[in-house]
This record gives sequence, C-alpha cells and structure tokens, in this order.
Amino acid sequence: MSAAGKGTPSAAANRKELLSALKEEFGKNGSLSKTVMTSLAEKTGLPLNEIYSVSTFYSYLPVATAGKNIIRICGCLPCDMKDARGVVGSIKKELGIEPGQTTADGRFSVEQVGCIGACDQAPAMMINDRLYGNLTPAGIAEILKSY
Amino acid sequence: MDNVKLLIDGKSIKVRGGTTILEAAAAHGITIPTLCHIKNQLPTGICRVCVVEVEGSRTLVGSCHTPVSQGMVVHTRSPKVIAARRVIVELMLTAHTGDCVNDTNAENCVLHNLASDYEVGAPRFNVRTPRFYPAEEANPYIIRNLSKCILCRKCVRSCADIAHKNVLSIGYRGFRSKVVTGYDEALTTEACRDCGICLEHCPTGALSAAPGFKALKGGAVR
Repeated sequence: MSAAGKGTPSAAANRKELLSALKEEFGKNGSLSKTVMTSLAEKTGLPLNEIYSVSTFYSYLPVATAGKNIIRICGCLPCDMKDARGVVGSIKKELGIEPGQTTADGRFSVEQVGCIGACDQAPAMMINDRLYGNLTPAGIAEILKSY
Repeated sequence: MDNVKLLIDGKSIKVRGGTTILEAAAAHGITIPTLCHIKNQLPTGICRVCVVEVEGSRTLVGSCHTPVSQGMVVHTRSPKVIAARRVIVELMLTAHTGDCVNDTNAENCVLHNLASDYEVGAPRFNVRTPRFYPAEEANPYIIRNLSKCILCRKCVRSCADIAHKNVLSIGYRGFRSKVVTGYDEALTTEACRDCGICLEHCPTGALSAAPGFKALKGGAVR
C-alpha cells in the first residue's frame, strides 16, 4: 500500500475521480473484490483503506462478492408502511436468503437500501438497473422468474 | 496582539482574533472537556462534548471550532451545557459496547472519566444490535478493540495528518461505521508499523499498547 498518498498532487486529483473510477470498475467486474481495489489503489496512488471506505459508504458499490443480479429493496418509511417487510419475506421464501446474502448459485444478491426515490410506487425495489414499484408479496415470484 | 475581548464564565479575557473558544478558555485556566480535539490540528467538531453556551446564539456551539468574537459572552458550565454534555456522553456510552467494570485501563479512558464526572449512569437508550467487534491482537504492538471505539476519528486523523501514513479510514456508514484498515482487515504489521501515534490519541480503550509495550509521548512504542 502506498503511504502518504494524501500529499501528492496526482493522488489529490485521483481522489476527485475516485467515485467514477469505482463505478466503472464495478460495471466492468460485477463486484469490487480486493484484487480490483488493490489494482485501483496502485493506479491512483490512494491508500486501499480509503478506497474501501468510499466504496462501503455507498450501497450501490457493493464490496462483497455479489450475485449476478442485485435486488435492492427500499427500507425507508413509506415503503415500510406499504408492507416492504412482506415483500422481503416473500423474497426470502423464494430465494431462501435474507438481505445482505447471496444465493448459493450466485444468481441473486439481496440488499436492503435507503430510499430509492420511488415513494410514489411504494413498496419499491430495484433489480440491477430496473425499478419495480407497487410490489405485493404475491407478485415477487413472477418478477424473479424473469431473471 | 490580543485584541478580542470576551467574557468566559464571568472572567474577562483578551485573546488574539481567530483563537477558538476552547483555546481562549484553556489559556486562562478554564478547562472544557474534549474527545475528538487534537491540539494544533484542524478541528472537526464531531464529538460535541466541548459544547458551550454563547449568549445570543440559538444553539450551543462547539468550542473547539468556534472562533472568539468581540464582546462574546460564553458559559462553559451552565445548566444547559451540563445537560447537553450528559446526553452526549450517554449516547456515546450506548454505542460503546463493553463494561468498564472489567477494564483495567478504564482510568485512562476519557469517556469513562467524563461519564463519572458528569454522573451519567447506565445509558437509557436501547440499541437494536449492539456494536460488537472481537478484540484484535494481530499486531504485536497494538491491541485493537473496536467495541470500545466512539468513532471520534482521532486515530484516522493522527495517522494521516501527523504520521502521514494513511493506514486508517472510516468504513461503512451510519451505525455500522467502523475504523477500517486495508480491505477491512486486521491491523497487521504489514499495514501498520509501530509508530504508535494513534495510541497516544485514542480517548478510549479501543487502541491500546500490547502488554510489554507502552506508548510514549511523541508516539514511539517501546
């Protein structure tokens, strides 16, 4: 790990670009493994812990080995009031995993995230980049089948 | 050039403009408790323990990051300040898992001492999941017990700004926030040598020198 990355001008410039670089790496590799982050650290001159820190702050940059499809369920108040918990329960029944876990076959990862800006369609979730709103526990199986 | 006149706890004080309330008070023998403050480093004002009452201000202000101004009237020990500090310490104790009872180093813990000075009893607040991390002894010089960490970020800042090593960062967010090394790994000697500067700054027992070593002033571990 390169020490004293904070002082060099190129590290400072790379710090500005870190978020977009992480997003790009995530798009390319599907996850931000240690190998991916270490090579990013070498490229940018930033310490690995700093890159890890930025990435873990954002739910959209998952660090752990993620499944092929990432289900993000909104955990905020409006969705909760419209039975997001029932939806989580239904996903658990279908896939056998809880938020924060990945299925054994690596097909799905489930994550509970903060507001995804779809309160008008509560309860809402995203699978990869696609938004699903007005969910019902009964309708989950149908949606998951298409992945 | 002591050109700013202010009143702290009824004491008339003259200091240089740009001085913080904390520094002005300290220079005149008035102690304000702090947890996240590092002398001569940029203040962050995140622990809020140093709050004081400034007449005319809508809220209490952090004394470590508020500069003095002409004619300011400051109270560092008013009932309002004491009540606020008590809750601040209580909140920190809530997230600070583990009893001081079995901690032989509790006398060195600033939070523990504050809790006893301000008569903060057992915290009233409930937490859904306790913040618990097993103690780490991967490093021969440093014992890390993150359950006792109050996230004051002094270790992160001293590592980056004083030691210029940048080994520590805050990972995750919200209640899951935690001081991380590398890819959230153990603090091994590979990542962290033995400068020990963070040991000196940690206000709690989260970072302590391993038995047989002691943190010296100035940082070195021997």
